[in-house]
Amino acid sequence: MDIAAALEEIGKAPNLESLQSLKVQYLGKNGRVTQAMKTLGQLPPEERKEKGRVLNEWKRALEEALEVREAQLKEQALQARLEQEALDVSLPGYAFPSGGLHITSRILLELVNIFRRLGFSVVEGPEVESEFFNFDALNMPEWHPARDMQDTFWVEFNRAASASKEAFTIQGPFGEEVTDLGGAVLRTHTSGMQIRYMIQHTPPFRIVVPGRVFRYEQTDASHEAMFHQLEGLVVGPSITMADLKGAISELARGLFGKEGKARFQPTFFPFVEPGVQFAMWWPERQKWLELGGAGMVHPYLFKAVDDYRERQGLPRAYQGMTGWAFGMGVERLALLRYGIPDIRYFYQNRLSFLRQFRG
Amino acid sequence: MQMKIVYSWLKEFLPDAPSSERLEELLAGLGLETESITRLAPPPSGVVFGRVLQVETLEGKEVRRLVVDIGQEVQVISGAPNAKAGMGVALALPGTVLPDGSELRVRTIAGLESYGMALSPKELGVGDYAGGLLEFAPEALPPGTPLAEAWGPDEVIEVEITPNRPDWLSVYGVARDLAALGLSLVRPSPKPQTTPLPLPFGVWIEDPEGCDRFTLSYARGVRVGPSPLWVQRRLYAAGMRPISNVVDATNYAMLELGNPMHAYDAAFIREGLVVRRAQKGEKLVTLDGQERTLDERDLLIAVKDGPQTRPAGLAGVMGGLEDEIRETTSAVALEVAHFDPVRVRRTARRLGLKTEASYRFERGVDKDGQLLAADRFMELLQAWGGPGVQVAQDRLDLNHTRPHPPIAFRPAYTSRLVGLEYPEATQAEVLRRLGCTVEPTDQAGVWAVTPPSHRVDLNIEEDLVEEVARIVGYEQIPTTLPSFFPHPDNLGVEAPYEANERLQQVMAGLGFQEVLNYSWSSPEECTLMRAPAPTVFMQNPQTPDRTALRTALYPGLLKNLQTALTQGEEGPFLLFEVGKVFRQVESLHLAALLCGDPVPGLWQKGLEGSFFALKGLLEAAAHNLGSRVRVEKETVPYLHPGISGAVYWNEQKVGQIGALHPAIAALLELPQVFLFELALPLSKGSGGFVDIARYPASMRDLAVVVPDATPYAEVERLIRAGAGAYLEKLEIFDVYRGKPLEQGQKSLAFHLTFRHPERTLTDPETDGFMQNIIAALEQKGFAIRR
Repeated sequence: MDIAAALEEIGKAPNLESLQSLKVQYLGKNGRVTQAMKTLGQLPPEERKEKGRVLNEWKRALEEALEVREAQLKEQALQARLEQEALDVSLPGYAFPSGGLHITSRILLELVNIFRRLGFSVVEGPEVESEFFNFDALNMPEWHPARDMQDTFWVEFNRAASASKEAFTIQGPFGEEVTDLGGAVLRTHTSGMQIRYMIQHTPPFRIVVPGRVFRYEQTDASHEAMFHQLEGLVVGPSITMADLKGAISELARGLFGKEGKARFQPTFFPFVEPGVQFAMWWPERQKWLELGGAGMVHPYLFKAVDDYRERQGLPRAYQGMTGWAFGMGVERLALLRYGIPDIRYFYQNRLSFLRQFRG
Repeated sequence: MQMKIVYSWLKEFLPDAPSSERLEELLAGLGLETESITRLAPPPSGVVFGRVLQVETLEGKEVRRLVVDIGQEVQVISGAPNAKAGMGVALALPGTVLPDGSELRVRTIAGLESYGMALSPKELGVGDYAGGLLEFAPEALPPGTPLAEAWGPDEVIEVEITPNRPDWLSVYGVARDLAALGLSLVRPSPKPQTTPLPLPFGVWIEDPEGCDRFTLSYARGVRVGPSPLWVQRRLYAAGMRPISNVVDATNYAMLELGNPMHAYDAAFIREGLVVRRAQKGEKLVTLDGQERTLDERDLLIAVKDGPQTRPAGLAGVMGGLEDEIRETTSAVALEVAHFDPVRVRRTARRLGLKTEASYRFERGVDKDGQLLAADRFMELLQAWGGPGVQVAQDRLDLNHTRPHPPIAFRPAYTSRLVGLEYPEATQAEVLRRLGCTVEPTDQAGVWAVTPPSHRVDLNIEEDLVEEVARIVGYEQIPTTLPSFFPHPDNLGVEAPYEANERLQQVMAGLGFQEVLNYSWSSPEECTLMRAPAPTVFMQNPQTPDRTALRTALYPGLLKNLQTALTQGEEGPFLLFEVGKVFRQVESLHLAALLCGDPVPGLWQKGLEGSFFALKGLLEAAAHNLGSRVRVEKETVPYLHPGISGAVYWNEQKVGQIGALHPAIAALLELPQVFLFELALPLSKGSGGFVDIARYPASMRDLAVVVPDATPYAEVERLIRAGAGAYLEKLEIFDVYRGKPLEQGQKSLAFHLTFRHPERTLTDPETDGFMQNIIAALEQKGFAIRR
């Protein structure tokens, strides 16, 4: 047997199959080395010892060569596979849809989250509201000139169906029907929720109320008949105007960073006393943005709430309390923030508009 | 409401008034927001005072020939209807550049040369009126004097008046509030020369609820004519049009002091005036020439004529045409009164008549200011109404007003409510400066504060707190944060909002774009879209497509899709909205739409848009929210009858899913669209923690042959029912129709995974489960494919 030729043959084996057959050919049960070793017993001891040594050397050499070649072939096979599997990774991936929230939802969420960090809870109220919650209980009786400040959409319910179960009803804080508390409106502000929430809950508390509101306005680039407000209400035994200023300042910092700050000026809303209009400092543009109104809850509201509670069999809970409330426009902030030229873009829902607000 | 404050006028009461820019800051601190500051330029050079000497009609021409004295006589051709000999005019000479930028030249009109142009208020840029010439008294200035000498530069500060502060609706009112900041104030003290004259009339108040004060003053020997130049300038600047010296004096005194007043021709008011309720159907022609039909809640000023009374004016709103001041008027009766705000507001609103007077009365005028205002009027009348004006010493004053009760005020409460310590001395000082009287009471720490009569807005303790905080300055208020533990009954109130927020985020995460549509719809749209009929209707709809409120969200999504397709927006379209719908009550819905391939094939095959693509997204949303969703066939009006079903969320029916009905798609020219709409809130998943599986699972496959019409859900139910408790997962991997199956049959093939939580299932056990399943299926007549 020519060991050198055998080793060379192994070293040149073209693939794992041929390597395997070479292994069988030399080292298999009937392989040449194996066979040769079987014949060792018939040899005289001297010769046997010498031949045995040689055969063992050959076996080791063959094994080593097989191992080396196997490793080489496996490596080659892996390389070939890797080459074969290679992709043009610069091609685009599957176009999975990418969604997003409406710009109004995004701004609302941003605002709401600032207040959540300050310990506020978020609640919502109805869009169709009784005159009582939208106006009367907020110290805006029918004859009050302040009603001129808000052009109102009045609604009516299906007269034909009013006898049947199909008619619409407005529900009060406890689900009770309040359809007959005066007329019915599309709420002109989120402030009606101040009344609803106070009736239903015991102070102290901190809430914010995001929501749609409606004004009977001719629409143009800066006026919409439907827009959103964020309302805030805090009531407790010793709530101050300084607390209000602190919260609005914190809102300014949440929106505009550490240079954000708030400015208060006196103004009038029937449901607060003292009344405030607030502006926030926008460091980027170095200007004050008038963003909303606020003030200390007018005692008339506490009385209206306690009267309602009493009618519902609940104890009066607001005597001696103080509180503050604020309301601000959401779209206005978005318009300024992004430099959007026309408020009507918001609810036209053009996708080329909506899809820009991501991240 | 906006009010225009003329700077020079304000300065009469505040000699130390700072510049208008600084005033803007001070006013803001008081609560008066400045809308604009307008600089009034003097009239252009070249505009001179002229006296019309002669007016000649030109035969067959509309224009007339005027001879005007401007130190020399010039010929002016004018079409102005009110040109008359003896009047003073503003004459623009050739070469004058008018405020609109045009340069005036000598022009030939009707064949005659015109050496100038007599100007209307509009042409001179002082007012909107273009129907006639500015009219001045003939001796107002020497002819030829540049008008700029009489009308120097001035400024107009336009401020927004909040409805609670009618006391700001006058020049003096604003000055008075500014003075509380420390500016020195000149108080008005009009002193007309009076003469003892008998009063030729009486006053009777028959409706004291409607009118608690009525004063009537008298003057005679008045010559009606134009007001002085400077008066006209101020009235124009304040946004009013000068009419005549008498009417202008009422407006001037009102703008200055805030009390509306009405001047009657005394010759027309017979025995005097009666304040009474109108009778239903009674009629009055108001000053604007309109005939008004009254009702019994309107408050009327009537002329007493024997036993009869004749309507002469709507109290606090507008006078009657019949008794107005005319050129021939020589005796004047002046009414300065106080009327019930609610009654005035009601009448003004009902008749759509918003006047300077009604605006002030609605908000509340000073009940103590009537005589002062009347004196100011008489003083002006004496100055402007010719040399013969005699003002009667006596006047009628029927006064049933009650003094303002004092407000119990605790200075400590100011500090408590604002969160800033205000020394008592400061508080008392501020309140006194505002005109309140401040007195101690028997109770320690409680003051009796009586506000001045002009402050109708000060009624409760909090009103006074605002006054102190406002005058000291809101900028002094510190910043703190409200810190407390909420009362336990507020805990958990946020849950519904959180659930919706999470739902919105999940939908967006799955690739849906949120839209927010208007809450409006219309019966027509609901019919077209096969949505429930509206139950809430607009009393004053803005447009015909917004007459009601929406009863479903999907019509809005379909309209968004329509717009997107028309505008050539890039698909696929995956839209959703969470919003209110209005049926028997107001409730929240979620709707979503899919149009196009959710994963479009680009250079490789994508995922086609299909019912199962949308259903898969709904299922993914449910899994995300820890819930299970299933769909059962159901016919829905707006959906394809063969591709529609009811959605069960955690086994509770919440809405529908399917393909848009092709008939609606055709009407809207839409391609195939898949939709779902669910009622919120969706129940929370009940899934708690189950320990991680430790024992191996046993797998089996099963194929069932069922009639084509048998829904998958039925087969699934049978398998689950038969399998027992250890069926961990059931997956359908094939739906097959064709040979060797018979026509009308299909084969459903499943992978089943069984696992016991506490031990390894043996083969015989698993085989037993399979036998139970097979038995259940066979009992229904379904064959097992082996």
